[in-house]
Amino acid sequence: MKKHHISALIFLAIALVAAGIAGASFLSMRENEYIAKGPGVSEVKMLSDWFPALAGSPGDTEVYILRSESSNDDAASMLVLGGTHPNEPAAFVAAVLLVENAQPSAGTLYVIPRANNSAFTHNDPQEGSPQRFTIKTPDGDRVFRFGSRATNPVHQWPDPDVYIHASSGQSLSGNETRNLNRGYPGKADGTLTEKVCYGITELIKKEAITITVDLHEASPEYPVNMAMVAHPNAMPLASETVIGLEMQDIAIGLEPSPVNLRGLTHRELGDFTDTLPVLMETPNASQGRLRGKTDEALVLTGIDPWYVKAEKLGRLYVPYDGNGHPIEERVGRHVAGIAELAFTWTLNNPERPLEFSGLPSYAELLDTGLGIWLKAPEQ
Amino acid sequence: MSELLIFIIMVGVFAAVSFALKWPVSISMLLAAIAGALAGGEGIPIRHLVEGSFGYVDTILTISTAMIFMNAFKESGGLESLSTAVIRRFHKIPALLVILLMLVAMFPGMITGSSSAAVLTAGAVVAPILVLMGIPAAQVAAFIAMAGILGMIAPPVNVPAMIIGGGIDMPYVGFEIPLLLLTMPLAILSALWFGYRYIKKTDMKKVLAALDSTTLDKYGAFRLFSPVILVLVLMVADRAFPRYSNLGMPLIFTIGAFLAFFTGKRFNVLNAAKLAVEQALPVLGILVGVGMFIQIMTLTGVRGFIVVNALSVPPALLYLAIAVSIPLFGAVSAFGSASVLGVPFLLALLQQDQIITAAALSLICALGDFMPPTALSAIFAAQVVGIKGYGSTLKKLIIPSLVVVAWALIFIIFSKQIRGML
Repeated sequence: MKKHHISALIFLAIALVAAGIAGASFLSMRENEYIAKGPGVSEVKMLSDWFPALAGSPGDTEVYILRSESSNDDAASMLVLGGTHPNEPAAFVAAVLLVENAQPSAGTLYVIPRANNSAFTHNDPQEGSPQRFTIKTPDGDRVFRFGSRATNPVHQWPDPDVYIHASSGQSLSGNETRNLNRGYPGKADGTLTEKVCYGITELIKKEAITITVDLHEASPEYPVNMAMVAHPNAMPLASETVIGLEMQDIAIGLEPSPVNLRGLTHRELGDFTDTLPVLMETPNASQGRLRGKTDEALVLTGIDPWYVKAEKLGRLYVPYDGNGHPIEERVGRHVAGIAELAFTWTLNNPERPLEFSGLPSYAELLDTGLGIWLKAPEQ
Repeated sequence: MSELLIFIIMVGVFAAVSFALKWPVSISMLLAAIAGALAGGEGIPIRHLVEGSFGYVDTILTISTAMIFMNAFKESGGLESLSTAVIRRFHKIPALLVILLMLVAMFPGMITGSSSAAVLTAGAVVAPILVLMGIPAAQVAAFIAMAGILGMIAPPVNVPAMIIGGGIDMPYVGFEIPLLLLTMPLAILSALWFGYRYIKKTDMKKVLAALDSTTLDKYGAFRLFSPVILVLVLMVADRAFPRYSNLGMPLIFTIGAFLAFFTGKRFNVLNAAKLAVEQALPVLGILVGVGMFIQIMTLTGVRGFIVVNALSVPPALLYLAIAVSIPLFGAVSAFGSASVLGVPFLLALLQQDQIITAAALSLICALGDFMPPTALSAIFAAQVVGIKGYGSTLKKLIIPSLVVVAWALIFIIFSKQIRGML
């Protein structure tokens, strides 16, 4: 055997070993994390129950239904989307916390913790993200996946050079074709991402969802942050909610849904359905461009010296100091926002109330941490 | 260990392995990435190394199929015959000819948003014509490399602008005229700078006499050129009718290569494909290595260190930071530079007209395709022309690149005034 053939075989063997190790690591991301059925959960369905074409696909995902005993067809309802972007962990954890703790006394709460189920199964190349993060509970560790902003290319590939939004014709960068929050109202015969959007839109239409809340996080350098974005139809509800949150010392801005940016929940769900859509953003350093070392600690604490420096330089849109923005604070903002939306709705619509108990307040979450609000995995 | 020290170690290992040991750039990038991970306390993170390289899977597929297509078209006799036909038709108006050739070379980049696609397709068609007309090889390579990046930025498709706009939720709408104003004057200037000053000294009668038209006469122009025509038609169809045509670049190039087998001289398809992949392999390896390098930079915090320091300059020096840091980071990837630095710089310039500023930033990002070690546009241009190494090509591109940066900065500084004129 010639010398270069031996070298080639050695390199081939090294490549195969690397592929095996990396492959096993990538495959492990396909295992769903544990979500406990809380005391308020009356039913768990799949998104494919509203759009059967999703059945058996990587886009199909659990829909947790928390129905009050008094709920009927005319009752008010709220849909909460977590995990639209699985690299925005507070949005996912807040949705899980709702499933495991909320107890509705009036109306119905629908929660989709993994709105883009496929995006939980991989990480974005060149982002160096951790695959998981752990929250300690009194009874053991809860492990959550830190996924990608977009659908797994293994499930939807290749991207076009330019993504054309189906209903408006708007052009965006090709990789946005896998971004769930650019695909609404969705397309029944479209890509996997568009089908998931379509399924969520179908759920909203068929269940006549009153309020839809899409939970997100944003990098601290992104202008729309610590904010609620509302469709014009939802603006009265959102503006009262923001005032209510400010009264709880939760600083939050209110942004109108831009008319010319299409495919997002707060625009399309308001235009194409009767729901009142709002989107909430909290500051997350682990998805930002200015971040330093990218690891689980950054996901959980938000402590990052480069963001502190950037804040001093006036480059950020949120306050940033050495304490970071811990996940308790970010989840707390989302949970408080959801509770306040329900409260404001009920205040203005006492004949169709939407009430749930069992949720921690913002101050309680900051005080106790997240762990005691999450159930330990069943043995 | 501080991010600065990790960065120095990564660059140091790359330089030592690449320049001192003279190992391939791809292996040097891999070893630099591993060194960075070790210095950052991450061990040898195999998952991260593999994941980083996946960022370029689509690019690798496009480059591979584009190379196969060009080799097939060349082997069929189409490439040589196209040069003959163009020179015969336009040799009396050389200034117009070089400008037209610049636009032709830009065209695939305008349609696909990829400088590599432009250089490897229309660039490869235009290069022999320019060589036959008496332009030195390095100058020709620089001509088509510049055409590649100007095509990548010219409308209708400009991926860096889409990436930058996407970072602040700005849709890719209203970019056409600013991008035309940014690119077309530079295209004309580049055509004259790289081409006309040589062509005007050339004796066209001698060039015409030297042309071999045997293949062209035997098969006819339409038949011989039909693979290129088909590829261009399919590219335009993908863009113009995205609801009905969504073949993607790799499949379009594969269809073109398949057609070339029937339109001219017969050739061994497998050999042509093998040669093409062999030619592309070093660049494909660099892309894989760069993917690993950038993943480790992000993982260890080096990326944040670079971005925040680029933003740390006083306002007066912000434009200098843009001019220097964006093309430098483009050494890793022009698209990566658009995302990592283009977005923060646009955020720092929100007081300007956002569309014109994003368009101008995208032009500076494109210069990353001239920046070693990736230097995709320059490497492929040198390869297409048949020059060993791309150093001579890069030298020819230095002054025009400075002009490009200056032009883009003028657009940023006067974006509001330019908006007022539109």
